[in-house]
Amino acid sequence: MKDSVRSLLQKVAFVAVLLAAWEIAARAHVFGPRSEIIFPTLEAVGAAFVKNFAKGYAGVTLWVYLANSMKLLLAGMGIGIGMAFLCSGLSMVSRTFHNLYSLLVAVADLLPGVALLPVVIIIFGVKPGVIVFLVVHSVVWPMSRNLIDGFRAVPRLYVEAGMNIGLSRAGLLFGIYIPAAMSYILSGLKVGWARAWRGLISAEMIFGIASAPGIGLFINQMRTNMNNAEMYATLVVIIIIGLIVQYGILNPIEKHTVGKWGMRKS
Amino acid sequence: MTALLKIENLSKVYDDDSREHAVIDNLSLEVEQGEFLCILGPSGCGKTTLLRCIAGFERCRGRILVDGREIAGPGTDRIMVFQDFNQLFPWLTVERNIQYALKCQGVRDRRKLADIAADVLAKVKMSGFEKHYPYQLSGGMKQRVAIAKALALKPAIILMDEPFAALDAITRNTLQQEVLAISRQEKCTIIFITHNIQEGIVLGTRLMLMQHGGRVAMDLRNPIPRPVSPSSPGYGALWDRMHAALYATQEV
Repeated sequence: MKDSVRSLLQKVAFVAVLLAAWEIAARAHVFGPRSEIIFPTLEAVGAAFVKNFAKGYAGVTLWVYLANSMKLLLAGMGIGIGMAFLCSGLSMVSRTFHNLYSLLVAVADLLPGVALLPVVIIIFGVKPGVIVFLVVHSVVWPMSRNLIDGFRAVPRLYVEAGMNIGLSRAGLLFGIYIPAAMSYILSGLKVGWARAWRGLISAEMIFGIASAPGIGLFINQMRTNMNNAEMYATLVVIIIIGLIVQYGILNPIEKHTVGKWGMRKS
Repeated sequence: MTALLKIENLSKVYDDDSREHAVIDNLSLEVEQGEFLCILGPSGCGKTTLLRCIAGFERCRGRILVDGREIAGPGTDRIMVFQDFNQLFPWLTVERNIQYALKCQGVRDRRKLADIAADVLAKVKMSGFEKHYPYQLSGGMKQRVAIAKALALKPAIILMDEPFAALDAITRNTLQQEVLAISRQEKCTIIFITHNIQEGIVLGTRLMLMQHGGRVAMDLRNPIPRPVSPSSPGYGALWDRMHAALYATQEV
């Protein structure tokens, strides 16, 4: 059996076991009368999943929430990744910048984004920009950490070979540092993506904007109304999107870069 | 005729902690066009540092002139072939490794890039491996590609820092013969560092022995006509002489 098929079958079997356990717990009413709320049956969650997309909440379907979230997420990730590349690149050029930026990354990475929310709202007002800001905050620090580590781990040999064939500083950055640090860049993207997705949802849950309602707001509405099947169904949507990004985008990129180059970190 | 490479009063001092440590102290050297200079010497005598200074990787005192012009940093007129097999960029195929170096020199024409790569790969007997990635090659093959890359750039001088030191004896001998053939065909100037006396005698038209502090202990024209083999007349005597000199420097 091919490794990829085996790996897929293992994963499917694992999920099937989890779902079966869930269903058994639901039918057995393990929590007594509360069971319906804690463990709604798979059927109820499935129905809620369809209902979320077909009818949604107060006349707005989950598609609309999802589209809003995605827009903000992509904007935030784009800005965050761009800033991380810019600042990490600069810290390779200037020693002073590197010292200060490393400190900033170490400090800022620890700050929970939602704690800054009130301040950010005062600055930006109640606008989608607030959510974008939080996504940027959750992406830029882990991404920078990985980029700086990755750039610093580039073997001196590649840099010298690059200088020898006449590369300029910018040429070294794009021609040597970035490809040589690719496995670090990819793990930065993975961490950054996960943090951004989570940051987005928590920001939306705490602070849903009526003008751009997002998936986090939807979860919050389901939660406050005790529509737990719908809430679970929305979490399933989040999981599905996460899996699509992991297996549909990040893994193929990895396969076609570091995998193909024999540079995969083991 | 002025020398192709002229080194005047070169000194290189490493600052480790409090004490200064002169690796090369006031070394002067001239290398003529077409010479194959083999530099031998004990570990830590400054051979590699000298080569790195010529390549422009190290800051040093003194002057290094190539073709009458003082060097100010690394450049494609002096291409280095490192000892480390991993000097090829792993994210580029064999062919692209060579073409990338050419592209950095402003060669844009695809046809020309392909032709040059095919030509130099043929010279190092690596035709057919164009689309391979470096991780798919053995150490000896990687060194061949590194030499092909150097040839493609047509440098004034090729600098080789023990390129075959980590290879097995058979591959090493084969590669020695090939480098020798290429150097005669292309009439290129090569400075080659080695620990191995046999390698020096087989390859070099000129042999130089360095001792600690970067002083030149011996500098002579290789008297044995090429191709050199251990049965060539004079090989044994030269080997003995180099061997004795090498061990004498080590005791200092």
